Amino acid sequence: MANNVLRVEGISKSFASNKVLDQVSFEVEAGQVHALVGENGAGKTTLMNIIGGIHQPDEGSIFLEGYQTHFEDPLQAIKSGISIVHQELSLALNLTVAQNIFANREETNRIGLINWKALFDKTRALFERIGVDIEPTMLAGDMSVGLQQIVEIAKALSFNAKIIIMDEPTSALSDTEVERLYNIIDDLKSRGVAVVFISHKLNEVLKISDKISVLRDGKMIGTVATSEASRGEIIKTMVGHHIKDFFPPKSSGIEEEFFSVEGLTSKGRFQDINFSLRKGEILGFAGLIGSGRTEVARAIFGADRLDSGKILLDDKEIRISSPREAIDQGICYLTEDRKALGLFLTMSVRKNIISAALKSFISRLFFYKHREIKNKSKEYVDYMQIQPFNDEIPLISLSGGNKQKVLFAKWLCANPKVLIVDEPTRGVDVGAKTRIHSDLRKLAEDGVGIIAICSELPEVLGLSDRIAVFHEGRITAILEGEVTQEEVMKYAVTKEVDDGK
Amino acid sequence: MMANNQKIGWVQKIIKTFGMYNIGLIISIIVLMLGMSIKYEYFLTWENMKVMAMGFVLEAIMSIGMTIAIISGGIDLSVSAVLPLTAILAGFLLNGGFPILLAIIIPLVVACIIGFMNGTMTNLLRVHPFIVTLATMLTLRGINLVITKGATISGFPKTFCFIGQGELIGIPFPLILFAILAIVIGYSLANHRFFQQVYFIGGNPRAARMSGLKVNRFLVFVYVLSSFLAGVAGIVAAAQYGSANNTFGQMAELKVIAAVFIGGASLYGGFGTMFGTFLGALFLAIIYNAFVMTGVSTYWQDVVVGSMLLIAVFLGAYLKKRGVRR
Repeated sequence: MANNVLRVEGISKSFASNKVLDQVSFEVEAGQVHALVGENGAGKTTLMNIIGGIHQPDEGSIFLEGYQTHFEDPLQAIKSGISIVHQELSLALNLTVAQNIFANREETNRIGLINWKALFDKTRALFERIGVDIEPTMLAGDMSVGLQQIVEIAKALSFNAKIIIMDEPTSALSDTEVERLYNIIDDLKSRGVAVVFISHKLNEVLKISDKISVLRDGKMIGTVATSEASRGEIIKTMVGHHIKDFFPPKSSGIEEEFFSVEGLTSKGRFQDINFSLRKGEILGFAGLIGSGRTEVARAIFGADRLDSGKILLDDKEIRISSPREAIDQGICYLTEDRKALGLFLTMSVRKNIISAALKSFISRLFFYKHREIKNKSKEYVDYMQIQPFNDEIPLISLSGGNKQKVLFAKWLCANPKVLIVDEPTRGVDVGAKTRIHSDLRKLAEDGVGIIAICSELPEVLGLSDRIAVFHEGRITAILEGEVTQEEVMKYAVTKEVDDGK
Repeated sequence: MMANNQKIGWVQKIIKTFGMYNIGLIISIIVLMLGMSIKYEYFLTWENMKVMAMGFVLEAIMSIGMTIAIISGGIDLSVSAVLPLTAILAGFLLNGGFPILLAIIIPLVVACIIGFMNGTMTNLLRVHPFIVTLATMLTLRGINLVITKGATISGFPKTFCFIGQGELIGIPFPLILFAILAIVIGYSLANHRFFQQVYFIGGNPRAARMSGLKVNRFLVFVYVLSSFLAGVAGIVAAAQYGSANNTFGQMAELKVIAAVFIGGASLYGGFGTMFGTFLGALFLAIIYNAFVMTGVSTYWQDVVVGSMLLIAVFLGAYLKKRGVRR
């Protein structure tokens, strides 16, 4: 019992009139992985931000190795041996990987001049230790979200902290990268580091944690040893009632092909992409992070330039050179990087929801049709169960999972023919996840063609009717019918294309 | 692919060292100078080079601090009012019989205090430094007018005037001063751990804070430095003209900002180098000098500078699009 390195007692925190944490107590032991689970908006991230010195608690205290402490700012927390892998990526995209990791801790000579070679060597050594292959001189902004996440984890490790807090660390990682993270965590455990692991993915939590604490509506509901926990039990505690974690049934009536691409190529990103989409089906894009799935989606959506290839919608070739044109044609893209590309953080939830369908809410004299906007927005807030129900507050005050729901509502509002969803359930809790899955299925049944890019294999298998597997910018196989995880993995890691190219 | 890489290896090396944008700027400067020297043989003489450099040296000194302010995601408009203020203060002190050293140090301290106030107010009020420094600039301009009543102060000792008029080994002293400041600060900006923080803060202030950087404290330093350099420019100006009045440095802030942007810095922060700013300042110096040479009405001067700025912005945006997204 006296083994705990970190203990918080009776922490409460309110933002404006919104009580986010209510008398939360919690303790972490050295060499253990302590998972923290809870629905979106349960207060997990706020609790971690308080431990990390980013927010100050209204009440309660923090004890480090038995001594009461108080962090004025993140620097003090870092110096006391606490480091955080943040959910929202926090790298400076204009700088190299090495500069990001060792921000203001670079190796210098006596007068403070940076020894660049030592900096890059040190970064390389760090990457070697955790077994990833990233060039330290690469600009953070040139990397995919998945790689950025790995850099973020590497950064937290570089502090040699006693306590490492990981807030949804796997949400942008592919399966192999997740495996690697497990190995890293095992290594940390053996060296006596305490890991706090925040995740929505119960499989993960059950696999790697020693203890699980459940947070609900800002209150700590309880802590159990993982060996004694059951999946259903945890879900029940999280949401207060049972939810089935099943995927909706597969498509019943797949119709004719209505959308296809031929020979799409963008030099250096992907080559010779061919696939077709049928009405009423969900086509899964599987593959490792960086295999070109997102790049293909962006090109179809007109966000990036294509070097060659054809896009056919309803048997007619269409030209798309901007997202505006894509939306007009009925092609919508739900982005993986919601903070940077998908949403307007300072604008209200309502304006965000209607932002992709603005045209239909503008009168002949170019004024907003406020009443219709209000009704439509309310409809989607109810439908997606976005919390809080008030849709006039700025988006920035919503929790991560609720932002994802808003993003989803935004594209539903635009009445798409083809909806491309990139990591649709990233950072979303179990309840919302199941609902998003059945929403996607319902849309497909209504005749929308859906392309779902998912990094989680069980999700892509459970959700899609057919699966296109990507590897290094090519589609290596399109799988149909009963498909196993092994099969998908096989094509995701092979260089050979199915037709022997 | 590999063979190709080796063949153009040295080209890439040059591009990597200087950056595509700077190379474009260097080529423009060379073309401009060649063109001018073909048409006017006096242009490429040592005498004219000195005149050209001295014509822009005050702005160049201020552009050093402005570069760092702009990389941090801010801007310092107050420099053009700090310059005359320090010149005037130095003038008062000299004429009041203070020793020369004190007449230099006291105005510089005042400049630093103004910078400190700029930085602190930006942090406390959480407003963009554009607004804070605009307010400072307007206030100081008024103060300059009040304390001089619009009159010019003159009659400074010879030793003091050396700072602005003297030469060492044939090079005007202000240019040497600029070179030392630009090299020391520029090298530190690129390689010193303390100065490197500005790229984090400009690139992602939130991330910088969460990485344990003292963002607010650093921003105060940025504005102190910028103001201090404007103070240095003020002292040089007083020494150069042997006098001081409230019209010194008028509109200089815009020329300084133009030099920094032509030098490739981004208004959104995170990007920019001292070398780029040096090229930007050199470019503008040549343009202003060219107008004097060619005898074209100087009314056109700002039209050209404005267009150049626009071209630089386009070029920068274009290269960024090509470069960042390979």
